[in-house]
Amino acid sequence: MGLIELAAAKALASSAVFLFITLLMMAAAKRISTCIVLFSLQSAIMASEILSMAWVGKSAEAYAVAALVIVVKVVAIPCALFRIIKDLKASQDVASSTTGVQSVFIMAALILLSFFAVAPYAVTLRLDEDMLAAAVALLLAGAFLMVSRKKALMQVIGLLVLENGIFVAALTTTYGMPLVIEIGIFFDLLMGVFLMGLFVFRIRDTFEHLDVSKLRRLRG
Amino acid sequence: MTLVLLLLIPFLAAVIVLTCKQSRRAVRVAMTAGAIEVAAIVHAVWRIHTVGVLQSGRYLRADGLTAFFLLSAGLILALVLMYSVGYLRHIPAGRFSSPRWFYSLTFLFVFTIMAVYLSANLGMLWISVESTTLASALLVGFYNTKGAVEAGWKYLVVCTVGIAFALFGTIALYLAAVKSGVDPTSALDWDALMNAAPSLAATSNLVKLSFVFVAVGYGTKIGFVPMHSWLPDAHAEAPTPISAMLSAVLLNCALYALLRFDSITSQAIGSGFSHGLLLIFGCTSVAAAALLMVVQRDLKRLLAYSSIEHVGIVALGIGIGGPLGIMGALLHTFNHSVAKSLMFFTAGYVRDNYGTLRMRRIHGMARSLPWTSVGLTVGSIAIAGLPPFGLFISEFMILTAAFSASRYFIAILLMIALTVVFGALVHHLQRMLAGKRVDLHDRPKLLPADLTVMGICIAILLVLGIHLPRAFANILQQALVVLQ
Repeated sequence: MGLIELAAAKALASSAVFLFITLLMMAAAKRISTCIVLFSLQSAIMASEILSMAWVGKSAEAYAVAALVIVVKVVAIPCALFRIIKDLKASQDVASSTTGVQSVFIMAALILLSFFAVAPYAVTLRLDEDMLAAAVALLLAGAFLMVSRKKALMQVIGLLVLENGIFVAALTTTYGMPLVIEIGIFFDLLMGVFLMGLFVFRIRDTFEHLDVSKLRRLRG
Repeated sequence: MTLVLLLLIPFLAAVIVLTCKQSRRAVRVAMTAGAIEVAAIVHAVWRIHTVGVLQSGRYLRADGLTAFFLLSAGLILALVLMYSVGYLRHIPAGRFSSPRWFYSLTFLFVFTIMAVYLSANLGMLWISVESTTLASALLVGFYNTKGAVEAGWKYLVVCTVGIAFALFGTIALYLAAVKSGVDPTSALDWDALMNAAPSLAATSNLVKLSFVFVAVGYGTKIGFVPMHSWLPDAHAEAPTPISAMLSAVLLNCALYALLRFDSITSQAIGSGFSHGLLLIFGCTSVAAAALLMVVQRDLKRLLAYSSIEHVGIVALGIGIGGPLGIMGALLHTFNHSVAKSLMFFTAGYVRDNYGTLRMRRIHGMARSLPWTSVGLTVGSIAIAGLPPFGLFISEFMILTAAFSASRYFIAILLMIALTVVFGALVHHLQRMLAGKRVDLHDRPKLLPADLTVMGICIAILLVLGIHLPRAFANILQQALVVLQ
């Protein structure tokens, strides 16, 4: 076995663990910029996973998807988010409603939970249990970040993590969807982040803060 | 070609309107484009009616169900555009900065709605539904007030998360199809899935998982309780023509997406599971919305909760099933669209005249604004499901279906909810209508176009309540055939 094949096999085998580590670090992170870097890292792990798949399967489509992930999720979206942070000139604190320790414990519990959740499906469908659990864990973690962090930007990041979870699910179960659909989803994601960025600025301008937990004019 | 045109016209219109610097020209271009689009829709519906199924390339497809929903979308689009002319004229200049942006975004919104209806592929369907959120979020936040920005943000975030769940469900169905031997390149095509549905039964667990996620995901967009939190805010804070579009077109759009999944799931593993889930969502939506309508203080929020109630009724109709239940549900989407547009239009006039939508501050409407009051009253009678209007017929069909399927609990719950809704509407309405004449300073006059719009809505509701026209009944029948 050549060196590249070996590296590919290793990457495939252990990427779930890397994804879990990024999640735990995200839970512990205190600054928004840390979370953005971690998101970028997470996407890079996914990209390497797809690249190794493409190498093994010799599929041009998979290479294209990997390129998309690298361009959109590893580079473009994090850069855009950093740009927003710079322009906002607001405090970088994630404004969590749980303490750091609590967050890490909750995240660990979510990861455990996702292993239990996928166990029945992984056996019957003969799928990689670790990666499937990672997909569900990303989903849950994204939702957790969205409800526990008060800053508008953190909700965007939570949404992105959630979206990553769906992406990993598609990857491990069906080796990705048809390319056209994949491109459409990426386009929607990009537009969504763009619009949310726009709204973040509008929230700052009309409310003079970014704490979405204080947005409660419209109730009932 | 017919189908491509439906997408091409609104897209081009969105671009062209944006280049018009003068607002009068922008309005004229928008009206022309709208007329062409409506004509194209009518043409497409007629073609589908005669040919059966239209297919254009791999990704565009239209059948009887599409035709039925296209018809209602086309009608509402025409009404909304006519209404918007008067709306723009009534609004004080400072409040409404830029008609060209408004129309451009509206046409983009129409483009995404058409894309939802014409997708031949469940992946494309998801992409289109997500784009409707993106296209309309800016319209919801159009006024840039605190309320509008908050509503827009909430709408964007809640719906995007919800729709993400629907994507997960779509992937699960794709996986089920691939595992049951459908060719991966066509395993998202609606045709292929429908043909292969019986073989999907082997992976029934996955199909069920998929439907749960899809129902929660698209259900967020439909406004099922408890995923409805974005809906009253968005409908209340958006400019009135857009409120009507959201309520009368967008909810149907998401419902259409769910119907597609429902029919695949029913074909694959029997209708018990998916219809059961729809019944649960229907019951919670109808019950919660009816109670919340009693305590509303804002007219547009009242209408928004009424929309939740009506999508709940539609879900009940589909969940009960049978030809009568499903026909009632489809007919109800159409009736509700027309009646709710009428209500939102009159709410817009109320806002222009009284400067508020707080129902407590609105008095003496019957004497001060007689025509608007007529519209609001007729709309309320229709929306409450009283004869001789169309909603009575469709609600009666759904109730009959419920009784004949021995679903007594649901039938009784629905009747109680309808009674509560009727009480709530009467309670709010009599407070606004009664009272002495209020002196409204320099109030904007109703234009002939405004009266025409209201008249058309009322006429359609009356016709549908008395006798279904033959052509309409045929289109409805063709939609039913697709679902069974």
